[in-house]
Amino acid sequence: MSYADMKPGAGAPAHTISATRQGSTSHKTGGTQKTGHLTAWRRRQLAGWLFLAPAIAYILFAFALPIVYNVMLSFELTSPATIGHFTAPFAGLANYRFILNDPTSTTAIIHTFEFTAGSLAGQFIIGFALALLFTVRFPGRTVGRSLVIIPWLLPLIVTGVIFKFLFQLEGGAVNQLLIDIGIAHHPIDWLDNPHLALWTILIANIWLGVPFFTLLLYSALQDVPVEVKEAALMDGAGPWQRLRLVIVPIIMPVIEITFLLGFVFTVKVFDLVIGLTGGGPANATQLITTWSYNLSFQQFSFGEGAALNNILLVLALICAPLYLLLSRDSLRRSSGAAR
Amino acid sequence: MTRLDSSRSLRWLCTLAAALALVVVLFPVYAVIVGSFESTQTLFSGTFYWLPHAATLANYSTVIQAQSGHVLTSLIVALGTAALALIVAVPAAYALSKYRLRVTVVLVSSLLICQIVPSIVLATSLFIVFHWTHLVNSYPGLIIADGTYAIPFAILVLRAFFFSLPNEVMQAARVDGASEWQTFYRIVVPLARSAVITVAVFAFLNGWGDFIFALTILSGSGIEPITLGIYTYLGNYSTDWGAVMASAAFAMVPAGVMLVLAQRYIASGLTAGSVVG
Repeated sequence: MSYADMKPGAGAPAHTISATRQGSTSHKTGGTQKTGHLTAWRRRQLAGWLFLAPAIAYILFAFALPIVYNVMLSFELTSPATIGHFTAPFAGLANYRFILNDPTSTTAIIHTFEFTAGSLAGQFIIGFALALLFTVRFPGRTVGRSLVIIPWLLPLIVTGVIFKFLFQLEGGAVNQLLIDIGIAHHPIDWLDNPHLALWTILIANIWLGVPFFTLLLYSALQDVPVEVKEAALMDGAGPWQRLRLVIVPIIMPVIEITFLLGFVFTVKVFDLVIGLTGGGPANATQLITTWSYNLSFQQFSFGEGAALNNILLVLALICAPLYLLLSRDSLRRSSGAAR
Repeated sequence: MTRLDSSRSLRWLCTLAAALALVVVLFPVYAVIVGSFESTQTLFSGTFYWLPHAATLANYSTVIQAQSGHVLTSLIVALGTAALALIVAVPAAYALSKYRLRVTVVLVSSLLICQIVPSIVLATSLFIVFHWTHLVNSYPGLIIADGTYAIPFAILVLRAFFFSLPNEVMQAARVDGASEWQTFYRIVVPLARSAVITVAVFAFLNGWGDFIFALTILSGSGIEPITLGIYTYLGNYSTDWGAVMASAAFAMVPAGVMLVLAQRYIASGLTAGSVVG
């Protein structure tokens, strides 16, 4: 529809009018008018393409090229010596075989799933609770709502470092609190105990992601019509029923997209873990991202790193069709001014 | 009467719950500030003091000497990222919302997918591609890489904003004889000021907070942003926590400034980018 509408002359009234007015001699004039129209249309098309040119160039260079190159790398036998060259000898599936047989890689993949599932569950529950809280008109809620987004604005590496400070064995605020209020008698080794370290990065990541969930769910709750809530109240629905049967179904599209984006953010997490645990102790907090960094930039096995990257990319792109589906209104939308 | 009382006490209960949540949200930031004023002895005493204990400015004087160059580097990178994001995104978003081009659906879909691509995937390849194109260890290289956070988001947010501009505005400019570029530059951009600021703020914060590209693309060069500076401090076995916390305090400044100055832009950008995106 969009392209056909734009075609000059296709139902363009100028031609018809001039043809009737000037009768049979109008052949030539009609022709020139059509050309004039065509150049205006062409000029606009050209302007549109020129406006897009920097973005297209950027996407090709900064996204398309690295993604394609990453696929190439994953099939190459790389070594520190090959970094200066654009290609390295073909390796077949050797890099992928390595990843699937490497115990650290497989546990990193499992950790990524656990970390993502745990983060999303925690972020959603706390984020939704806070979003509901902020819909109540209580004193100080405006200030509260603006301060709650702070974790989202800090550099991620800084957050990692702060949590490392807070979770220190000796002199860490978390242990100090647990001892001061009598929950623990000895400091807990949050960062060096392999069983606890994954929980530590999970807690830090939940802290980090809650504001995002709160803000999105809060704005969705604001859009629920008051009449709907009142009608449910009149029908005698209790608070829990109103939430479950009325409010949640209405805001479901936002919940879906929030989870989707939360998933995408969480499988990418890197800075936080590097700052907090560096993937340790004994690879207990190694995620796909941190292990891929280790393979490529510390062991200089770029081919193996690239193979792991591709697994991550596939994992992240699993939700791409769903994302496109949920964004379809925005995709279809067009309000061409250059009609 | 009772109902009023109960609703009033409910409200105060909500205030209390919100205050508790805010304590958890803000405590890490508070701990940075406390830690940055503590002496090395206090920090290694094995006790965390809830209020500054024997406060000192020693950490700040250490850090100002060691990190001011890194802060400057971060500022250059952040401003560069914001500039690149605006140059690429504003015209593109305009074209994608106000021109009927055959490429629109394809391009918007690929932008949505670009947002999904993890940075480590890009970093691994960009490191080698940049080697090849001599962009390793350079500001342009780092700024191009940092743009991958900001640009897809910026185009999608601005595009959503441009839809709200009535087409008549542009038609009027054209009738007055303005060229396509003049219409864009003189009419559309000024009208989109608030959305442009939102996008610039986010791009600045992305460039400022970037760690992964700095870590991978700047391998042992003179260029070192503050995020990398903090990480280098951590590297030692006995971390100088006072210096780390003072550097962290510096690294948090832009977020604080943005929160105060650009509050409404941040909130609107967050929701617009995610829901419309």
